[in-house]
Amino acid sequence: MNPEDLKELKELIEFLKDNQIGEFDLDRGDLKVRIKFAHESTSAADLAGLSRMLNATPANSLVLQPVVSPAPSTTAAAPATAEAVAAPVDENACLHIVKSPIVGTFYESPSTGMQAFVKEGDQVENGQVLCIVEAMKLMNEIESDAAGEIVKRLVATGQPVEYGQPLFALRLR
Amino acid sequence: MVDALDIAALDAVLADTPFAGKLRHFPTIPSTNFLAMQDAESGAAHGSVYLADEQTAGRGRGDHDWHSEAGSGIYLSVLLRPAVAPADVLWLSLAAGLAVHSAIQQVTTLEPDLRWPNDLLFGTRKFCGILTELNAEVTRVRHVVIGIGINVHQGAFRGELRDSATSLRMESGRDWPRQEIVAALLQSLHRETIALTSSVTAAKAAAEIPERVETISSWIRGKRVVVDEAESFSGVTEGLDPRGFLLVRTSDGLRTVLSGGVREAKSNSFR
Repeated sequence: MNPEDLKELKELIEFLKDNQIGEFDLDRGDLKVRIKFAHESTSAADLAGLSRMLNATPANSLVLQPVVSPAPSTTAAAPATAEAVAAPVDENACLHIVKSPIVGTFYESPSTGMQAFVKEGDQVENGQVLCIVEAMKLMNEIESDAAGEIVKRLVATGQPVEYGQPLFALRLR
Repeated sequence: MVDALDIAALDAVLADTPFAGKLRHFPTIPSTNFLAMQDAESGAAHGSVYLADEQTAGRGRGDHDWHSEAGSGIYLSVLLRPAVAPADVLWLSLAAGLAVHSAIQQVTTLEPDLRWPNDLLFGTRKFCGILTELNAEVTRVRHVVIGIGINVHQGAFRGELRDSATSLRMESGRDWPRQEIVAALLQSLHRETIALTSSVTAAKAAAEIPERVETISSWIRGKRVVVDEAESFSGVTEGLDPRGFLLVRTSDGLRTVLSGGVREAKSNSFR
């Protein structure tokens, strides 16, 4: 990695920290970066508490370690936000995560006041529009890349999303 | 006034671009963007252009309609299938504004202002709006449609547009042929697209965009603005970040505008 890239990587890490983004994947041809943060204030006891609170996975199955590796890791994703943690992502390997291809603002409906494209519990088809992510007056209709049931919407309307951020969890058919 | 478009002549002028032979002209159509996105799904080619004299359901960002009076303006959508990552398509949104700016300057010698990300104005009045629609997988762009509306011959605007809209005619006191503007616009759009999508020039072309935008825009630095995002906030613009997003200094610190509409803050309505 050249000094320029290293500098950019450092800036990226700062940016992710500032915005409290827990996990980040970048895949641009020959460059693959995966960054995952431990929550600084999160002790093992906190994790156990968190786990009990969520009534979900045991603490030791939550992978919360800083990871910078040159290739995509195959470890289970440690969700970035409390809401994401609430989704049983780690519990069920069949869940499929639809991610955002661009940075922008998440919208669940075509425009304000209109019905959401999909809601939790809906069955969706491969290619069906799930939401819009908008940046710089560029509207990106995000299509499902799999068929299945929407188990969880991971982002709220109007919320900013990062590149690669999980948007929906699907149970595949 | 009658200001017809001659598609055969446009094809000839655009011979060196992917648009030649792929221009379709409609006297009236609900929305050029809608048709372009629909056609894209059924496999329409890179470089397809949809031109209309009138749109009956022109689309803008969010809930905004685009006023499209018959024959008074240029309403066109360009379908592209660029081999770039979805994240890099955002550059096309900014580049489209630069392309219109260059075409208007070339044909009319007028100097429009650019309001981030890509509205074109004279003073506080807008004469060109751009809406880009993208269909992408996480790592691959399927297609992108850039929709551009330009007010050309309108003599006045009524109702809510009265104080916010203008046309080339209102600014210059004369009519400009749509044919020339369309030709210049598609040529400048072609130059921008080639620079941003050919692997040799893409990184450099993208890196230059923030500075190019700042050069022609009074909105990028030192402008007191209100930003309508999920919650509206106000502050003073402080340049573009390396990804082309607008930075606004607010009382709570520096904020990055991803998508919100930006408008000028009235000195007495500072929120």
